[in-house]
Amino acid sequence: MRWFRRTRNVGQQASEWFVQVRSGRVDSHMNKEWASWMEASEDHARACEDRELTWELAEELRDRPVIQALLHDVDKILRDRQRPAVGATLRGRILSWQAGLAVLLLAIGISSYFLANQVSVNEYATAIGEQRIVTLADSSVITLNTGARIRTLYSRARRRVELLEGEALFSVSHDASRHFEVAALKGVTVAVGTQFDVQVEGSATVVSVMEGTVTVAANTNDSSVKPVAVSAGQAVDYTRDGAVSAIRPADAIRIRGWQAQRIVFRDKPLAQALQEYNRYIKVPIVLGSSALATRRINGVFRIGDEDAFLGALQQGLHVEASSTSDGQTLLQQVP
Amino acid sequence: MTENNPHSGVKEPSPELHPRPDATAVDTPVVQSQKAYVTLLFNKYRGSLYRYLTRLVHRDDAAELVQETYFRLLRHGETTQLEVMARSFLFHTATNLARDLRRRRSTRAADRHVQLDDQEILTDHSGPDAHLAGEQAHAILERAIAELPQDTRTVFLLHRFRDLSYPQIAQVMSMSARTVARKMSEAVERLSAALGQTV
Repeated sequence: MRWFRRTRNVGQQASEWFVQVRSGRVDSHMNKEWASWMEASEDHARACEDRELTWELAEELRDRPVIQALLHDVDKILRDRQRPAVGATLRGRILSWQAGLAVLLLAIGISSYFLANQVSVNEYATAIGEQRIVTLADSSVITLNTGARIRTLYSRARRRVELLEGEALFSVSHDASRHFEVAALKGVTVAVGTQFDVQVEGSATVVSVMEGTVTVAANTNDSSVKPVAVSAGQAVDYTRDGAVSAIRPADAIRIRGWQAQRIVFRDKPLAQALQEYNRYIKVPIVLGSSALATRRINGVFRIGDEDAFLGALQQGLHVEASSTSDGQTLLQQVP
Repeated sequence: MTENNPHSGVKEPSPELHPRPDATAVDTPVVQSQKAYVTLLFNKYRGSLYRYLTRLVHRDDAAELVQETYFRLLRHGETTQLEVMARSFLFHTATNLARDLRRRRSTRAADRHVQLDDQEILTDHSGPDAHLAGEQAHAILERAIAELPQDTRTVFLLHRFRDLSYPQIAQVMSMSARTVARKMSEAVERLSAALGQTV
């Protein structure tokens, strides 16, 4: 049974026309251009029919669990970036059932299976300060650090994980027939069997390799940009624009530290140390004076024991901590 | 579905598609020229529309839906003079009619508590039989959507299921409207290709 014709270039043209027409931005000149394309070959009409079918068929998937799970993320983007122009088009009911769904999904994770092709999609998340270990079907283990969210897409052909927020360590079980790939921001890290850490922070992604070798490819349109091989003990980072940094030593101590629920600082400027520490707490610690920023600290701190951390700072740096009215913890030099 | 190939002598709907005869008496010249335009347009795309509908519903239903689409279009009145937009509207109307029909049929089938096995579905007019609207095609398409690159998928989902326009998506995702269009086209192409590979 052949539903679609495999006429690749014609297909792309048809897809482009389809998108153009849906935008509603068509003038008489464009209409003329379209008409002569359409009349040039019967294949063009068929390709257009195929695109219309794809579009209409997709509508029928609206209530399926996997699509609902994907829409959950999309709605989060809408909520995060909502502006009046967009907000006006959102129907209220989407937001209300959405809120209920969000709670449900975060609580239990999403688990659904494609009957036909056995692709399973699951989602896992951690709250601020929380960590979680997830063992996947192939016995690969993912450790989620504070405030992280991942989605796993597993099929017989591939193992794909999307790191949507935060940081996670991937201990990949060896399977030469199925690559293990981690997509974060616009790049992809590919491994066969190894251990590596991926952290999304702002607009950059850091990939640190603990064991074995991975390849890191920034997703750019420039085909001359080759994937970078990163080996044990090394790290690279890439940005949304597709720029991959030079290879540098991985911060293995930090990564091993968080695995053991510890935050490790070695001769770290206080400003940087707080930036790291604040990832794990809901009420951020801020500095009362810029003079404190460059003071250096050392130590190993248990995640979740903020009192001990503040105690150490107060003693070691001679500062005092107080709560501000806008819900932060302020560090000030003791006069 | 080889026997379903519209090229292989499948009966197309009758070419004699006239506006309802009772309507002509009160028509003004403007309405008449509008009708002539719709009829012209319709005759041009009738074959394509029929072929399209046979992939959503049974052949016999498709022929009926083609006629019904024509009447809807005549009743609709205003039709854009931009042919590309008019054709799009034609297909959209036909799809809605096909969806209504399938909904009615499945409700009726459920009412009768008819248990259809695969063999029966292939011959039964109520089921989508070997058409694209079956579970297999749904599963393939769903999987293909899940496997789209993340940005491409987000663009697609925002447009398809959240009814955002390209400029709105551009704003939400901090990209140009052109990039949005490019990603949409990539999505449509990949999804169509995924469906196309299920031979």
